[in-house]
Amino acid sequence: MKRNILTFGIGMALALSIGWIAFPHVLYVRQQQPLEFRHKTHSEKSGLTQCDSCHVVGADGEFSGIAGVETCAGCHADKVGTTKAEATLVDLYVKPSRQTPWLVYSRQPANVWFSHAIHARRAGLACQDCHGSMGETDQARVYEQDRISGYSRDISGHSMSGLFRAPHDGMKMSDCEDCHHRRNVQVGCLGCHK
Amino acid sequence: MSARYGFVIDLDRCTGCGACMVACAAENNVPPAAPRATPRTGLTPMLVRKVSNGMDGIARREVFIPIACMHCGNETPCVSVCPQQAVEVDKATGIVMQMPQRCLGCRYCMTACPYHARYFNWWDPAWPTGMEKSLNPAVAVRMRGVVEKCNMCHGRLHSAMEKAAAAGRREIDPADYVPACAEACPTGAITFGNLADDKDPVSHAAHSPDAFRLLAKLDTEPKVYFKSQQAWVRGLADRESDRPSEVQNG
Amino acid sequence: MKLSRRDLLFGGAGALAGLVLTPVPWKLLSDVSIWTQNFPWIPQPAHGPVDTKFSTCTLCEGGCGLRVRMAAGCPVGVAGVRNHPLTRGALCPLAFAAHQLNWHPRRLREVRHNGRPASWSEAQAAFEKACGEGPIGIVDGRPGRAASTVFTAFTQKHHGSYQSVLSVESQALAPYADWSGLPVSSLGYDLENARTIVSFGAPVLDGWGTPGRFTRLWSEHAGGAADPQLRLIHIDPSFSRTAARAWRWVPICEGSEAQLAAGVARVLLEERLVSAKGPMPRLTLEDAAAQTDLSTEAIRDLAHTMVEHQPVVVIAADGNPSIAALNVLLGAVGAPGGIVRKRADSHPQASAAPAPSSLRALLVDSTVPWEFVTPASTEVFRFAAWDGGGESAGWLLPAPGFQEELTDVPTPSTSAREMYAVAANLVTPPAEIQSATQFLRQIDATLPEVEKVIHARCEEIFHAREGTVYGEHSVDVATVDTAAHLEEQLRQGAVWLGDSPVSAKFRCELKEWPTENRVSQGTSWASTWIPPVFPALATKLYQESTLRELPAWRLA
Repeated sequence: MKRNILTFGIGMALALSIGWIAFPHVLYVRQQQPLEFRHKTHSEKSGLTQCDSCHVVGADGEFSGIAGVETCAGCHADKVGTTKAEATLVDLYVKPSRQTPWLVYSRQPANVWFSHAIHARRAGLACQDCHGSMGETDQARVYEQDRISGYSRDISGHSMSGLFRAPHDGMKMSDCEDCHHRRNVQVGCLGCHK
Repeated sequence: MSARYGFVIDLDRCTGCGACMVACAAENNVPPAAPRATPRTGLTPMLVRKVSNGMDGIARREVFIPIACMHCGNETPCVSVCPQQAVEVDKATGIVMQMPQRCLGCRYCMTACPYHARYFNWWDPAWPTGMEKSLNPAVAVRMRGVVEKCNMCHGRLHSAMEKAAAAGRREIDPADYVPACAEACPTGAITFGNLADDKDPVSHAAHSPDAFRLLAKLDTEPKVYFKSQQAWVRGLADRESDRPSEVQNG
Repeated sequence: MKLSRRDLLFGGAGALAGLVLTPVPWKLLSDVSIWTQNFPWIPQPAHGPVDTKFSTCTLCEGGCGLRVRMAAGCPVGVAGVRNHPLTRGALCPLAFAAHQLNWHPRRLREVRHNGRPASWSEAQAAFEKACGEGPIGIVDGRPGRAASTVFTAFTQKHHGSYQSVLSVESQALAPYADWSGLPVSSLGYDLENARTIVSFGAPVLDGWGTPGRFTRLWSEHAGGAADPQLRLIHIDPSFSRTAARAWRWVPICEGSEAQLAAGVARVLLEERLVSAKGPMPRLTLEDAAAQTDLSTEAIRDLAHTMVEHQPVVVIAADGNPSIAALNVLLGAVGAPGGIVRKRADSHPQASAAPAPSSLRALLVDSTVPWEFVTPASTEVFRFAAWDGGGESAGWLLPAPGFQEELTDVPTPSTSAREMYAVAANLVTPPAEIQSATQFLRQIDATLPEVEKVIHARCEEIFHAREGTVYGEHSVDVATVDTAAHLEEQLRQGAVWLGDSPVSAKFRCELKEWPTENRVSQGTSWASTWIPPVFPALATKLYQESTLRELPAWRLA
């Protein structure tokens, strides 16, 4: 009897440790951004203190996303500093006019329609409400990609258990629904899908 | 903002050119025909059909009828049969929104639709090499095994909503939201507007004596109205009409 | 310690119980379901900044205004231009899928010689050799462009001959050109002022002229009403789309249009329904009735109806002179609502077509339809963006496709007013592409550049101080401040339209009624759109529905 409980317990412990410790390591593959972009450097040294200095909602409502290389070229047409990251930017992307292949943490599937104009402008949500304090980071965060679904860990949420979640953690449909429910904003399928 | 978007299609003006069909396919990322596709298995969210009065010679009359989803407002047949809740009637606009990503492909809705306005993706969509660069980013591409239909160019509605939000407005500018078929029609036969807005000319046209809806007796409250000054065409609305009506394609 | 089966079972049970308390099964389920909705082989649209550009379509001579939506530098959607003065937002069905043409499976991407791959340098060498050995001919499918100026400059310098292929609509205007001595390109139809339009088989509501012009006009003034302001009478052996929507359909025996025109002319003259006194056709009314399969009463009725609501104009499907003669009788030549004279056209005209056998080589521009027959003994350098099928003898040279080159759009043949527009290259062509003008300039660098010719034409328009530029707003040319500003507007998609047609009458000398034979001026093909190739989405029209039938020679 004791032995059965023991083997049961060992089996369970094994499964729990694999499931909670090994599984996230295996499921997510870590990838580096094409270059080491530092938000803090830009906000402190260049006076670009607002998110929308580079992440712009256009006049027609289109959101620029991560700034295109043309925006970077506004200051980095040539090297202005000494970092390796900037050299990469100027040599590989600005000079040949190639878009930097950023790994987008909040990339959603193609059938999702999310309007920054409606959420940031009309609803007055702050960028931090969904993206956290991205703007204050002083190094480019590692991009963890789910091997099966192909999406970033930011989408499903860093917390595997769903406990101790930061308010902005997770960008799945259920997270959108929760916020909509809290603020009593009704949208049908048409409101978020295309 | 509670609108009821709908169409009024003037059958006396439709020349059967097919511009609406091509424009719809281009806007909604509908793929070109698979090699084995036929008129029965093709993907034509907008389909123009030809109907004649059955006579020959100078007494012959023909009319072209553009058929797409009628966006039924009452006891919507497809909504009531879907086991996946992959289609719903949007409360804010009246658009019957089909979600291909949720669809499991049982095709029950295709049976339920009285207008045969739903189409099944028998094959994976395939474009000639490189042509996928010309796909419309406002509309998601479907895969095989799901049903699709007209969604009243929801991609354009989304763009109009974004534009309004960027300008600080709650209501969209009606000029910003025109579905591809209405925009493409070279004679202006297809008109689009808000049926719930008294000031909208389309709302007026829908109530004119020449206007009718197909299979109105089913009480599904379709939002697509047709109009014609020709009595035999209005008689097509109910198949019980005693005028010979030969439905013929080609 | 020996592991027994019981250990394994309890261990397994524990592991299972533990697994359920981990994220593993739930996450796997969730992720696999997401994966099944995002199969990697399903194409995805490009992500990128969205932009709207204005341009003009160059697939046919119609010159329709285009509003092209671009995403990430690629065209992703085409629509008409609402305030375009000619088309008012309308386009033909094929235009809506035109942005996909550059990736059409029939897109030509390499030089071919006699069916085998070759190179541009080989083609150039062969052409230079041919230039040295004998006269070269250049065939232009859309005369009046800046490129046409380059072609004529080449043929003049190198003792070659320039030949233009007239569109079907241009061919229909040729008789008036013959009889008045005016160039064909200076004539047009003043449809806006007509009250009765009699079409002898011309598909005016389905692919004739500039597609949107007449469809919009008809929709506004007729639109299927029982007693319309604009009466459309369509004469056609079959119940075509135009026939179905016309106010009156007159079914005649196939090929008897000339006979009907003669019969109607006879009634008009004998019953003095027109002020003209002649010329009288030779055909009697009874013979006309017999040959057209109509009764004499029907022909009389048609003649009376035609003159009931004036002005009346007759539109022929091709260059049949009998039908043109009917217009002369009706007084529709040089009068409002009829055949009018656009402003003087200063662009180079076609010289007399050379004897084909005397040419050493022929350069055929990409605007020339595939149906153009090239003489067997001549070396052919055929430019094309898409392979139209047929024999592969000679050189096949890949030309720019949809909106891939800077070119200008001269006045459409059916227009009543002069028009000028510029189609900028919205899309960068692939590296292997070269236009005919670029090819010729490689051989003779002194030839003018297309861009410079366009610049000169914009200056011409500016200095003439006439007409209106239709861009976001319509602006009188007289108020535009500089030629550069005018050119910039045109290059961004605006269109210039000249003043209303000259009201001065011009005369057509018609001494006797033309013979009733059906005249075919070179190639005469079905005039329901002649695109270089049918776009991929055209399958909606002919394969996935029975709305239309693809012409047999177009089965692709």
